[in-house]
Amino acid sequence: MSRLRNFGRFVLALLREIGDENAYQRHLAAHGREHSGAEWRRFSEERMRAKYARAKCC
Amino acid sequence: MAFAAAFFLSGIALSRGEHINSIWLVLAAACTYALGYRFYARFIAARVMALNDKRATPAERLRNGHDFEPTNKWILFGHHFAAIAGPGPLVGPVLAAQFGYLPGTLWIVIGAVLGGAVQDFVILFASMRRDGKSLGEMAREEIGKVGGFAALFTVLLIMVILLAVVGLVVVNALRGSAWGTFTIAATMPVALLMGLYLRYWRPGKVLEGSALGFALVMASIYAGQSVAASASLAPWFTWSAMSLALAIIAYGFLASALPVWMLLAPRDYLSTFVKLGVVLMLGAGVLFVHPDLQLPALTRFVDGTGPVFAGKVFPFCFITIACGAISGFHALISSGTTPKMIAKESNALPIGYGSMLLESFVAIMAMVAACVMQPGVYFAVNSPAGVVGATPASAVATIASWGYPVSVAQMSALAHSVGEQTLFYRTGGAPSLALGMAHIFAQTGGGQALIAFWYHFAIMFEALFILTIVDAGTRVGRFMLQDLLRHFSKPLGRTSWMPGVLLTTAAVVGGWGYFLIQGVRDPLGGINSLWPLFGIANQLLAAIALCVGTTILLKMHGLKYVWITCAPLAWLVTVTFTAAWQKIFSPIPAIGFLAQVDKLQASTAAATAATQTLIFNARLDAALCGILLLMVATILLDSLRVWYGILRGTHAARIAEAPFVISRLRAEEL
Repeated sequence: MSRLRNFGRFVLALLREIGDENAYQRHLAAHGREHSGAEWRRFSEERMRAKYARAKCC
Repeated sequence: MAFAAAFFLSGIALSRGEHINSIWLVLAAACTYALGYRFYARFIAARVMALNDKRATPAERLRNGHDFEPTNKWILFGHHFAAIAGPGPLVGPVLAAQFGYLPGTLWIVIGAVLGGAVQDFVILFASMRRDGKSLGEMAREEIGKVGGFAALFTVLLIMVILLAVVGLVVVNALRGSAWGTFTIAATMPVALLMGLYLRYWRPGKVLEGSALGFALVMASIYAGQSVAASASLAPWFTWSAMSLALAIIAYGFLASALPVWMLLAPRDYLSTFVKLGVVLMLGAGVLFVHPDLQLPALTRFVDGTGPVFAGKVFPFCFITIACGAISGFHALISSGTTPKMIAKESNALPIGYGSMLLESFVAIMAMVAACVMQPGVYFAVNSPAGVVGATPASAVATIASWGYPVSVAQMSALAHSVGEQTLFYRTGGAPSLALGMAHIFAQTGGGQALIAFWYHFAIMFEALFILTIVDAGTRVGRFMLQDLLRHFSKPLGRTSWMPGVLLTTAAVVGGWGYFLIQGVRDPLGGINSLWPLFGIANQLLAAIALCVGTTILLKMHGLKYVWITCAPLAWLVTVTFTAAWQKIFSPIPAIGFLAQVDKLQASTAAATAATQTLIFNARLDAALCGILLLMVATILLDSLRVWYGILRGTHAARIAEAPFVISRLRAEEL
């Protein structure tokens, strides 16, 4: 049961990483900021600018 | 394990005259991967790279909370896998199945273990030891300016061909399909809604927004059936190939010029989640259903007369399957985000080598999905009208004459069962992959009653992430073009100058759009000329990556371990040269572009505008192939010059690694 729980936690963490939610939490922690709509927009714009400047795999 | 691998591989190689179960392929691949990972990859990690967990990685030394961040091994594994897995490992094996299941399967398994995974691993290692530098930067540093320029130019060229070829795959999947077109059209407002949801209504709740998007997309697949059945709505969504191509071109322009948050980012999140889910579902489905393969081990088309694309099994099987065996594009990912997030050096082994093995396994699943179809059905779906005849009756007669019986009634019943008008001439691989996947999914859950739903689910899945590649790729192509143009005009290089943005976007869209239209007009279906071009270009990039890897290994250990990268490099150069040469100079018009020109010029319709366009296109393709050949030769000669210099002692063998810093990362931080 605990293995299943661990697996569930891993899947959620992976999805959060792919969905940039973890990166956003790290960003808030690194800069000592609180979550807000404006903060998310600032973060995601910067992240997407970098993300979509790189080639996407085929 | 070695005995098991040998047993299953000989099982699939030696089985003749009866159907073989797909589980043989799955187990042969799994055992070979296990052996490759346990012995070959660990040998490279320990002896060649000397991975050292006491050495701080760029993620630790340059930690900034953004790009550089130590990340859990398995999370980064999933992230890296999601980044390298595209339509290539799904479509390539389906097309190569025209040779039978054996050549493609052996190439996927052996190519990945000895080539693709090695390339990804070596480049990841090299980038990790060089502060996360890109392939282009490493090529410039290790080989010289020529290598760096070649990497940038090749990527731009690949982007143009890649976007055209994947666009063509979508066009052929949606042509005349009201259900499919409606579903894909519905993903646009869904993505817009997700964009607004994530930006204004629930900022930062990406998983929540994606779950909502997924539910809406599933609802649109369900609604698509009613749309296709409606006499008034169906005509609105029943489009010709040319209309679809123009719509995709317009979409590519709009999506890459619009703000990223509006369409591109939400679609990218959604398609990545769906991609991972479907890959897992397909893997589980193949294991659960383990269907018999209907295609033989080898078909008569190994002789080069295949209807899906022309050319002998060597070299064209190895060009057709790039991603899944070895893909140069992976080197861009391995020298992109991933090296900046590796917490410990030893993590490079599962992430670099292991992810590629998983991608190869996806390619095996795609091969299984293609081969569960009756051979006659497979060829009826994947052959263009220009090869098998313009009417269903002539198509089935031609295919039956090859020894693969199929009837018009059988094809009609199949099309009806998946909610389509027809499945003839659906070249490009996506529809046949969708048929195979639907077959497997339907046996896993829902039975035949749900096969139409699963077919359109598979089409939605393929089109969704192909269109994400189209808009993201156009944007990346635009950045690259701006990067090149800034040497000639400063304003054109500025990403904030709107006229420059629009002009360069139009240039990139115009580039791949031209090839897409060319593919739609091509009497041989487009895939015949575009997919090999894409394969050659992709393998060329892999050759650049392996040249960089060889240079680094030579500087580290002299000649001792260069065979690790030299062996796949020698194979790739042989394959790429042979394929490119044949595509240009083969006297067979279906293969050689110049022979195609001669044939068209000799035809009675030579003077017509349409034939003149075909002649120009064939010459253009020949020129493109020639440029690719020239690039391979240039990079190889430049690398040989550097290697000779290193061995003679006339070229500095300085290893450009970042200095050793001891790691202070605590276990609980990972």
